[in-house]
Amino acid sequence: MKPPMKRKRTFQRRKVCVFCADSGMKIDYKDVKTLNHFVTERGKILPRRISGNCAKHQRDITQAIKKARNISLLAFSVVGS
Amino acid sequence: MRRYETIFIVNPDLPEEDQNALQEKVHSIMASFNGEIIKMEDWGLRKLSYQIRKSSRGRYFLVDYLAEAPALVRELERTLRLNDGVLKFLTVKTSDRVTSEQIQALKAAAQVDKTIRLEERPAPPEPIPTPAEAQKAEAAGEEK
Repeated sequence: MKPPMKRKRTFQRRKVCVFCADSGMKIDYKDVKTLNHFVTERGKILPRRISGNCAKHQRDITQAIKKARNISLLAFSVVGS
Repeated sequence: MRRYETIFIVNPDLPEEDQNALQEKVHSIMASFNGEIIKMEDWGLRKLSYQIRKSSRGRYFLVDYLAEAPALVRELERTLRLNDGVLKFLTVKTSDRVTSEQIQALKAAAQVDKTIRLEERPAPPEPIPTPAEAQKAEAAGEEK
């Protein structure tokens, strides 16, 4: 009999969309502080598997980030170290 | 009525009187097209995330308004486009249909909003540089 395989089990927190969890939060392209949570240091939009957003809110976030970029509240890309 | 908001960035090198004239102009357009301003905010001087026409700083204005016809937006954008002092602008439609009751509510809310803001921060808010921006500024400083 084979001993039961020891599987590495790293604890993973189940990610819940922050906007679903807290309905008071609104996605606004003018709110740079919130949007900054959803971009990388280089200014890229964080993927859903990292941010944990639901599809609907990820879509809204993406739209908001793109608007904010347009009006120079966010950078399109951050170059340099 | 439709509700729009327009952000425009004014070149900070523009003389004060020209900046005021531009604001006047916005008001006069609103008046001539039967638009109604809910609020007009001056965010003050902010650092831009990227240079626009060699300028790395800009003075932001936000106009939240109601318009009967898209002609108002067209005229407003045309004016902003023709004005050399305006670096960039963005218009977003926030609501497709606003009833007259909602207009009253909005106006009341805007009033309250204004008073709170005046109490909390008498000076225009200082832009908080994001980590990315701070890094960028550092890098720029080193280069110089």
